[in-house]
Amino acid sequence: MTGDLQSEVIRAFHRKDFTTPVVGITGGKGGVGKTTVAVNIACALADRGVRTALVDADVDGPNGAILLSVELANPAAVDITVPQIDAERCNGCGDCVRACRLHALFQPRGKYPQLIGECNGCEACIQVCEAHAISRGRKQVGMTYLSRIDGLSLYTGALIPGFEESSVVVQAVRERAFADAEQFDLILVDTSPGAHCNVINALRGADSVLAVTEPTPFGLHDLELILNLLELLELGGSVVLNRADLPGDRKKIKTVARQHSREMIWEIGMDDLLARSYAAGVPVVREYPQAPSSKVFQQLAENIAATYGI
Amino acid sequence: MKEIVIISGKGGVGKSALTASLGSLLAEKHRVLLTDTDVDAPNLHLAMGTRLIDFQEIAASDKAFIDYHLCSGCMTCVETCRFAAIIAVAQPVIMPYSCEGCGACALTCPEQAIAVRPVVNGRINIYATSGLSLVTGQLAIGGSSSGRLVDQVKRRARQEAENSRAEIILIDGPPGIGCPVIAALKGADYALLVTEPSATALHDLQRVVEVAGHFRIGMGLVINKADIHEVSRRKIFAFAAKNRMDVLGEIPYDISVPKAIANGQPVVAAYPDAVSSRQINRIAEALLDAVPVMT
Repeated sequence: MTGDLQSEVIRAFHRKDFTTPVVGITGGKGGVGKTTVAVNIACALADRGVRTALVDADVDGPNGAILLSVELANPAAVDITVPQIDAERCNGCGDCVRACRLHALFQPRGKYPQLIGECNGCEACIQVCEAHAISRGRKQVGMTYLSRIDGLSLYTGALIPGFEESSVVVQAVRERAFADAEQFDLILVDTSPGAHCNVINALRGADSVLAVTEPTPFGLHDLELILNLLELLELGGSVVLNRADLPGDRKKIKTVARQHSREMIWEIGMDDLLARSYAAGVPVVREYPQAPSSKVFQQLAENIAATYGI
Repeated sequence: MKEIVIISGKGGVGKSALTASLGSLLAEKHRVLLTDTDVDAPNLHLAMGTRLIDFQEIAASDKAFIDYHLCSGCMTCVETCRFAAIIAVAQPVIMPYSCEGCGACALTCPEQAIAVRPVVNGRINIYATSGLSLVTGQLAIGGSSSGRLVDQVKRRARQEAENSRAEIILIDGPPGIGCPVIAALKGADYALLVTEPSATALHDLQRVVEVAGHFRIGMGLVINKADIHEVSRRKIFAFAAKNRMDVLGEIPYDISVPKAIANGQPVVAAYPDAVSSRQINRIAEALLDAVPVMT
């Protein structure tokens, strides 16, 4: 379906009009520690004086602010277009009803069309209406926020529960951060679990990606899925093996990583101080800079800074 | 037939491990069909020690295609697309990952060079385990419309359940609160919510309860790793009380669970005397009290 896409198109997909490097943090499986890794690398970089933006693009369950104990601030609404039909102008031709592939419009006999179903804001109905009877109404599906804490800027996207437009909110929060890109030396983007449109939209424009996983069979299986996706999107990077001493097969993780040209694996073992700081909502690199996990996060931060000459 | 969906908001709190154990316990008394609707990262088959017996490719996603013999390169489609899915290179190119298949570009193309066609976006797998069948969805790499794939998985599961006269369909849900979760909840009789004592898990639980609330179905809560943080545990109980939701049980942190996963077995089968297994047995009973099943 997509295997024949040219590299040129992928480059165009990732094209951006600024030079600030963008590093994605993803993982396939949920609960493997993506946000923990993202928050700690962001803090480690900020503490080194790197002007860092962290984008929380897990809009279904945005938890970056909780792990940083920071209030969501500077709200902005995320809207999509929904059709507003002017009964005076409508000639009842039904073109809009036929144009809507989601079957969201319904025209009772002898009346003008009404929006009855889920609308994704594609505007096909507006495009086909010859009577110019449809205008752009707005429907709010989410929020973005910008919070600042200790040298770090956190951009958060949040879908309003009950709506389905996660990827619209992902795009909105990423674009909000990208619009401010010149203020930063580095942008980190933390994605949702999974491998669908939310993740793909979050990783658009990334220069490299960290894939976080755990050594369990679940972690192994989902790592393979996400590395296949990253290859399709031509995104390189390394693997972070979190909870490295959980029962499982670390060798297999390394084999899969190598098969996908991920030579570098960062291992984070069980660390009580990490668990304690997680519960307290303070990044471990700040609370316990000497903790074993903090050392790994600091090295990861150093590695990213060196890679991009920051 | 009763449909029970296991969801959590936050990923990695133990949905699949719990589904596997509950499935094998409920199957001792009832005919059960297991279903995995976490089509992005399906794991239930790994937790059960299954073998694949059948699969079916699914084309539940629409994409626009440009006929370059007809395309004049005017880029009207690029301006039309609300999803930034068409990129202007030398000619317009459709990025399938972003294309929603809405067809707005096809409607505005002056050359009528664009058509919308269904594409394969995943597959349905049928697995067998000892005494249990499992229907799972698997999104193709880079595929989209995961919600519509979930619809197809559930349709197939209901067929299979009908054929085998199953009394319970136990559905492992996806993380998050978006379209695949909403698709997993559609038509369900009961939502079993799984959480763990952390601020993040509680935050995501609140969001998914809000979504499930729209469906006006029964809800019950299981607290996994219940002993890892007492303050957060108490907050979960307060949340449950406020929402008039029963806590069906608590499972303490138990290394037997990841050990069982590493062996591809539900913990109740691998370590029936483990503290987690004993708690999951009680949860299975509480679940049957909450969702009475006709036999």
